[in-house]
Amino acid sequence: MEEVFVFFLHGLAYAGLLFLVSSGLTLVFGMMDVLNFAHASFYMLGAYFSYMVLSMTGHLWLSMLICPVMLFVIGALVERFLLRKVHSGGHVHELLLTFGLAYILGESVKWIWGNYPLSITIGGFLSESINLFGVTYPVYRLFVLLSSICVGIAMALILYKTRLGIIIRAAVNDRTMVNALGINVPLVFMGVFGFGAALSGLGGVIAGPFLTTSPSMADDILITAFVVIVVGGMGSLLGTVVASLLIGELQSFGVLLFPKFSMALIFLLMAVVLIVKPSGLFGVEQS
Amino acid sequence: MSLLAVKQVYKDFNGLEVLTGVNLDVREKGRHAIIGPNGAGKTTLFNIISGKFKASRGYIEFKDNNIGALSPHARNRLGMCRSFQITNVFHNLSVFVNVQAGVRCACGLRYNLFKRPENMAEVNRRTEAILEKIGLHDVRDIPAGELSYGQQRALEIGITLSTDPELILMDEPTAGMTREETAQAIHHIDVATAGRTLLIIEHDMNVIFSLADTISVLHHGTILASDTPEAIRSDQRVKDAYLGEDE
Amino acid sequence: MTKRNTFTAVAWVFCFLGAASLPFLTSRYQISLLTEIIIFALYGVTYNLLLGYGGMLSFGHAMFFGIGAYTAGILLTSVTGTPFWAIVVCAFIITALAGFLVGSLLLKVKGTPFALLTLAFNSLFFAIAFKWYAVTGGDDGLSIQRPNIDLGFWTLDTSNVSTFYYITLIVLSASILACWYFTRTAMGQTVLLMRENENRMQFIGYNTAVSRLILFTFTACFAGLAGAFYTLHFRFVSVDAISVGMTTTVLLLTFIGGTGHFAGPLIGSAFYIYLQDYLSEYTDRWPFFMGLIFIVMVMYAPGGVSGIIVSGGKWLQERFRSPKREIEGT
Repeated sequence: MEEVFVFFLHGLAYAGLLFLVSSGLTLVFGMMDVLNFAHASFYMLGAYFSYMVLSMTGHLWLSMLICPVMLFVIGALVERFLLRKVHSGGHVHELLLTFGLAYILGESVKWIWGNYPLSITIGGFLSESINLFGVTYPVYRLFVLLSSICVGIAMALILYKTRLGIIIRAAVNDRTMVNALGINVPLVFMGVFGFGAALSGLGGVIAGPFLTTSPSMADDILITAFVVIVVGGMGSLLGTVVASLLIGELQSFGVLLFPKFSMALIFLLMAVVLIVKPSGLFGVEQS
Repeated sequence: MSLLAVKQVYKDFNGLEVLTGVNLDVREKGRHAIIGPNGAGKTTLFNIISGKFKASRGYIEFKDNNIGALSPHARNRLGMCRSFQITNVFHNLSVFVNVQAGVRCACGLRYNLFKRPENMAEVNRRTEAILEKIGLHDVRDIPAGELSYGQQRALEIGITLSTDPELILMDEPTAGMTREETAQAIHHIDVATAGRTLLIIEHDMNVIFSLADTISVLHHGTILASDTPEAIRSDQRVKDAYLGEDE
Repeated sequence: MTKRNTFTAVAWVFCFLGAASLPFLTSRYQISLLTEIIIFALYGVTYNLLLGYGGMLSFGHAMFFGIGAYTAGILLTSVTGTPFWAIVVCAFIITALAGFLVGSLLLKVKGTPFALLTLAFNSLFFAIAFKWYAVTGGDDGLSIQRPNIDLGFWTLDTSNVSTFYYITLIVLSASILACWYFTRTAMGQTVLLMRENENRMQFIGYNTAVSRLILFTFTACFAGLAGAFYTLHFRFVSVDAISVGMTTTVLLLTFIGGTGHFAGPLIGSAFYIYLQDYLSEYTDRWPFFMGLIFIVMVMYAPGGVSGIIVSGGKWLQERFRSPKREIEGT
């Protein structure tokens, strides 16, 4: 029973991390219909930047402030100078561009930091364990979960309660109309793409001490993040939350129950969802 | 004898009722027009007849078969073909290939892995004949996307004719055309559909009165009246429907 | 029209003869590279039938390549004395079955969901190849010996680089030719309709589920054939052959060659293999330059190398013909 509880908590922590990465992806995807293959590379960059900041200052909170800002800038530049230029070529071109970008970022990281895992250690309370309902559990995993909940709530508030959120959602629905209303839609898109990159980077910062920081970390999470947004329904924030939880737990219990097939399980889930409901659990059916 | 019979067809989209019990009888070789104010459900009715949507309730009979459950391609193979209100052609393919596609299909040359359509004399002859009829013979090798609007509308008619259907469904074939283009289009439709059954949706009354022998008025999701053009012209209910909606 | 067809046919024959005479002119290493180019050319051609002709963006084409590669690998390690032709035939049939099976599950999915679902199936097959150690050798892969071909009166020694090159050239050129013929058939034309307007097709009597399934199965089995030759060529198969990276490779080479022309992947394959070979000699960062080339191509030459050649040809034509055309026009 205790074991089940521990694995349930593991699943929750992993779901939190998945949510951080895939919420940015779903935002970008919902808006621009671009499957951003470089999204997980931003996550990886976040982890590496955090490694630098931590080795210089030793403060995780500083890293959590600085790295997302750096990735916001990188994301905005990518949108402005690369993605926007190929927009007229259709989705395939946008997608292929991010594909090439992922290659470049992956190789750059190997070039600069070397092709081996780096270990990030943090001291203090976060590295300890606490007693939770009779189980000893690492504080950091709970911290991961807590951070993702905070981000999720903040995103929901921004999207559904502020004027900016209204503009973003309107621009998703009808780009030309919102543009005609005098709102600089390209600027909004640039901002949202940057914001998505920043979220992904924050995910990387948080993942650093929790998983290993290595050049393959992008590939490891990219496909899972895609599965999350597809299962949840493309462009749906609620869907992303639910699918993150589902896949986080599936992954966690998959390792416990069928260690050989844990990887295959999430793809089976995705295949079943898409065959039954192609638009995903919370996606809008397109006619 | 009726070729197409629509019986008590209902359609709602998530609670929004668009068709509320439509009954329609299209005679063989008849030229039947459906008119009605905007939002009356004309295109929805076409979508249900052609198989794009399934009716919520009711029957559709074509040549005495209940076709309500069939997919669009199966309905087409029974002998009906529709045109679209918004031009719906194969943009990057030549005009010839656009028309040839349907002809090929009617000749049973759909998924053949060995025969090359360019060597099929019958297919090419029929394609040429249709191009001749719709006046696009001179532009046969130009990609459909590069045609003028009027030519694209003509091609739309050509594609609709290409499967050699008994029943032709035309959804506002002259939408967005100038007066001269409209006149020419009517001529094309008249010639091209000779000897076939035509069911047409139109806004342009000139088109209706020069083509149709029967007119049905669709209003608020039901057929208000179905009669000869002269009778419809003097029908008080029709006048009310139009004047009540538009003004 | 016929004049152009004759020209194309002559060009193909020259290409083939040129390729056939190359072993007399170059080194063993170059011949080995050429063999690889031919294998990836067929793989790219099948991918282009999906992407360029059918408009279906798949992220899982490597599953068929990999299934073909593993069919060859497993037959050669588990069943002793499998003749060469049996390997080729089995790889073809098994991938056709796999293509049919996966294709029939994906009939209703289009666009981005289709791309992702093919990726999911690819990952599923990858997981199987990775975990089923007893049969596939997992991470270690399978090493094989090429079987010799016994023609009755003469035995072909496939361990000879040139001999294997000729076998590859003949079998895979015939396959590429079959793919080219496919584009000319009624079905090939139907594939173009799918790319252009799948919705309208249904209203002129096409069952799009059938046409999708045929295309998917067709491209799968030829990709599997390329995969089988991949194993035979390297005398080794590992999870690389069925990885997402292998899909990336075909996507890159097809796109570099150009999706707008049948010959695009042929050019792309030569370009990709040579570039990779050249770059990895000077730097082990070649994926970096691949990515860079890729971005530059998407931004400035989305038609690929074949697109550049075609528009260059048109430009020349315009330049030399324009005065004459003006006279004709008036």
